[in-house]
Amino acid sequence: MADFASGLLNPTNSTVVNSDQNLESMAMGNARTVPENGTSTTTAPGLSPDEIALYDRQIRLWGAQAQERIRSANILLISLRALGTEIAKNLTLAGISSLTIIDDEPVSEEDLGAQYFLRDEDIGEPRAEAAIPRIQELNPRVLVKSGGTLSNLLAQDQTYYTPYQCIIACDHDFNTLSTINTITHLAARPFYAASIHGFYGFIFADLVSHDFILEREKSNVATSPGSETLTRSILSVTNKKENNGKTTEIVKKREIYCPLILANSSPLSPDILGSRRKLKTVPALLPCLRALFDFQRTYSRLPDTHTSTDLAIFTTLATTKSRELQLPLESLKAEFLRSFMQNLGAEIVPTAAFVGGRLSEDVINVLGGKEQPLQNFAIFDGENFDGRIYSLYSTPPELVDFGNSVNGEMLHANVNAVAAAPANGLGLSMGGSNGTAGGGGMTGVTSAPANGAEVVELE
Amino acid sequence: MQRRDRGIAQSLGLPLTKRVKESRVLLVGAGGIGCEVLKNLVCSGFGSLPQYYGGEIASEISDMRRPEIVVVDMDTIDLSNLNRQFLFRKQHIKKYKALVAKETASQFNPSVNIDAQSGNIFDDKYDVAFFEGFDLVFNALDNLAARRHVNKMCLAADVPLIESGTTGFNGQVQAIKKGVTECYDCNPKPAQKSFPICTIRSTPSQPIHCIVWAKSYLFPELFGTSEEDSADVTVTEVDNVEEVAKLRIEAEALKTIRGLMGKSEFAQAVFDKVFRDDIERLRGMEEMWLSRRKPEVLCFEQFAPSMDKSEDVVERGRALAMKDQAIWSLAENLAVFSSAVDALSNRTLASPGTPLEFDKDDKDTLDFVASAANLRSHVFGIPLNSEWEIKQMAGNIIPAIATSNALTASLSVLEAFKIMRGASFEQKGVSKLTISHVAPTHNYMVTNGKEGFMLGGSKMVFLNSRSTERMITTQNLVPPQPDCAVCSPVYAKLRIPSNSSATLQDLVTLLQEKLGYEDFSIQADVGIIYDPDLEDNLEKGMIPAGYIKAGNGFLTVVDEGDEGRVDLVLSTSFTPNTTEADPESGLQLMPEEISLPSKHKSVAESNGQAMTTTEATGDASKVAAHFNAKRKRDAEEEVVGAKKRAKADEEVMVVEDDGAILLDD
Repeated sequence: MADFASGLLNPTNSTVVNSDQNLESMAMGNARTVPENGTSTTTAPGLSPDEIALYDRQIRLWGAQAQERIRSANILLISLRALGTEIAKNLTLAGISSLTIIDDEPVSEEDLGAQYFLRDEDIGEPRAEAAIPRIQELNPRVLVKSGGTLSNLLAQDQTYYTPYQCIIACDHDFNTLSTINTITHLAARPFYAASIHGFYGFIFADLVSHDFILEREKSNVATSPGSETLTRSILSVTNKKENNGKTTEIVKKREIYCPLILANSSPLSPDILGSRRKLKTVPALLPCLRALFDFQRTYSRLPDTHTSTDLAIFTTLATTKSRELQLPLESLKAEFLRSFMQNLGAEIVPTAAFVGGRLSEDVINVLGGKEQPLQNFAIFDGENFDGRIYSLYSTPPELVDFGNSVNGEMLHANVNAVAAAPANGLGLSMGGSNGTAGGGGMTGVTSAPANGAEVVELE
Repeated sequence: MQRRDRGIAQSLGLPLTKRVKESRVLLVGAGGIGCEVLKNLVCSGFGSLPQYYGGEIASEISDMRRPEIVVVDMDTIDLSNLNRQFLFRKQHIKKYKALVAKETASQFNPSVNIDAQSGNIFDDKYDVAFFEGFDLVFNALDNLAARRHVNKMCLAADVPLIESGTTGFNGQVQAIKKGVTECYDCNPKPAQKSFPICTIRSTPSQPIHCIVWAKSYLFPELFGTSEEDSADVTVTEVDNVEEVAKLRIEAEALKTIRGLMGKSEFAQAVFDKVFRDDIERLRGMEEMWLSRRKPEVLCFEQFAPSMDKSEDVVERGRALAMKDQAIWSLAENLAVFSSAVDALSNRTLASPGTPLEFDKDDKDTLDFVASAANLRSHVFGIPLNSEWEIKQMAGNIIPAIATSNALTASLSVLEAFKIMRGASFEQKGVSKLTISHVAPTHNYMVTNGKEGFMLGGSKMVFLNSRSTERMITTQNLVPPQPDCAVCSPVYAKLRIPSNSSATLQDLVTLLQEKLGYEDFSIQADVGIIYDPDLEDNLEKGMIPAGYIKAGNGFLTVVDEGDEGRVDLVLSTSFTPNTTEADPESGLQLMPEEISLPSKHKSVAESNGQAMTTTEATGDASKVAAHFNAKRKRDAEEEVVGAKKRAKADEEVMVVEDDGAILLDD
């Protein structure tokens, strides 16, 4: 997947803030420190004793090798509101190589409640620039810098994203998120999108194709390579004898992903669709979020709870989305709908901390190449303590011709080939691929769901 | 309402937002979870006086009712905290966590009031009255003892507690309320690891056995207080009695060698004793090695060619000890062993009265344990480990990451919203005094269990990092275990003037007269002080005998009669004078009316829910209806709950945050 050698390149097109301090910290961050006496150590050749001491408690969880991969990662974070604040904090603490933040919106007084890196004196300043010095304080080993303006970003092609090991976009509307995702998918770079609305939030992941390692105690049931789900396959299994006599199984797996625009029209996974019991447990939050995406695509704003037209439109949308997902009629309750709409646009820190924390954990695991990543849509309801993950997958066009081959190597090769291909050669009808926000091509009509459910006209 | 409050006001609604702002909450622990909880509290407006109440607040409200976040933590900041405790920076190392946490978090919200206290939560000043001053308590602790203590204090003070813990990717949050939910001690906690003595001393088979040997046997025998029974080594039924007796003699011989400390031959004498003589003796016990590999004898002299002067060895060991990631060779382990023995000997001789204790962050002690454990591993054909790995096992370091703490802390504060939304209680923290507001200690009588609010739909929540379907798993809160020794008793207070001459007899008389006790016993911190057959202490003064101490003392009254009423736990505290009290002794029970239902009845009646309440006020039938409604709901959810519970139990085991020392407790 991600080529870690490229992680050593510094992302271009970015404005370096307070450069002196950062150049120094960058040097610290990227230095391949050799122990002073010249002899290399066995388990962590690249990490200095200082780094091992600082990151001790997390290295004990994910190991020195994963820490080294984290250390060489450059991350692009788009939007620094409450959610971005949490993500910036977590990734900076974890010790990535660099964090490039894009948020040129001016700080408002409302921002100060939940965006705790901002102060009264920052009002009117661009958000990223105002917050960066305080994020930098969390860990001088990480280069934290501004990536300029959003409009500049949206004008970039896939080469812009190549130096990044992960791109995270928060709190933007569907079109913006999808536009960015389209290009990150072409660049074969892991992409996350997330938003919060009061107690509610979601995380979407498009890691293109991601290989990861699971280590677990060997069970009596043999694990064998092959397809596990529509998206996940086991590539290899090796066994390791432990000191305590037990056997650890090292399982290498691969997950394949589709972009947001496809996920948003994909059906629930067959095992849920096939079970009435499971369908009944799908929270109404899922169709409500899809309804919100559609509303934003049509009106370029959030629905207003206080106007009856918006209420009516949103209710219709949510009902349609619920039906599209084949959820039982009774799962969408008026009480929930009201609560959801009441929370729209609000930022509260506990929700941001959960959604941002879970997203960061996933990013760190993806960088380290360990643990099961999110596949591909997680929803969080902090009012009801509910956090579900749904696989909303349709085969991306570039993979269609080759079918759903479980041959991981073949998929991998395809993805790389696609990444190298020019953006316009793909036949993806995504409005944003020319780099402008809110491309009109997809406004108003949802993509046809893969399961053949009705297509809904909005306007 | 300020514009910065817009988000919280929109989501929570104005009544809850006001309640949050006026709340007075306690955060115990400013570490991994604590920093995150504090950030969430500060940014959500807890304990921040609303601006629009203006100047009338400060003068009228007593300190015990001021909207505020009180943070208590006794620790100082360490380098290894900085990967997750984001309120701290490198320049804060060695400063008190509570104080720095306040300094950093205060900047997040100019109207917040934080009172930071660098104290131990076990301190006397954190008594029941202190806990009673809060609307809510958050536990963000790293050890079992403190968790259990705060649990008990919150039960005694009848304040809801939100308990939390993380380990690695796992985490969990649990809301606790006296008489409503299970308490922290309703479920037995996993016992600390302990090994049979013969496994440690004679037949180790894993690295941990050799580490425990080095840390809990060899180290204390040489440099610490020799302890026959360390908590992590016990004589069990699998241990051979004869062998145990021989091991005692072996330990005695080591004490003799201790006399050589400071002399140049000390390290060699220790080495040859434990790796040569003791091993030779073990090799002689043929039946022990029928199914095991015989240990290999090591002799100090055999390394002689590789080291010329003892001085050099010490120097070499010091250099090697810097490379804690590497797995040292046998000779390297010997060098580190020699240099550690040298350093520890010098320290012991420099201050003879103070025995050394193993501390994972004390490099000399870690060097000693790591090298000695590895040498022993070699002897028994067990794989060697790097010092870095041994540090984790010897120091019980629990992996800790920023994200798990952030996730867990976010759930803690979401639970807090639930509890506060569901609460029909009178708030302790207030921004404005009204006629109905009285001092919090009196509040006890009004709120104690009466409404028994159902914590607003609060749940037990677990992080579920490895699942492909769920980020969190929840479990409905369940009623208290009726036989829980910690939360099933009725909690009340016993107050005594600090100069009182009251005797145990005075207390016995008081309990007989006021509460109708006949056959009963009284247990103090020192043990049982009174029962029907133990009358020796009756004439002793309560204070001089140490039965009543300032601060956190408890007396447990157990009804031994046929009726068997539930236990009564009295939290004891001093009053400055004797007004209103019993003129004879000055002993005073609070509240005036204490209802003690029979143990039998309470189990049958409500699964332990309502029996702990005072019935001084309140509409009993209303309360009963309330609980009945809940029981019905519980029954409906029972099946699902049971399944979830079983699953959750498998996934989350020990819940400790930072480097908690389980073995040493």
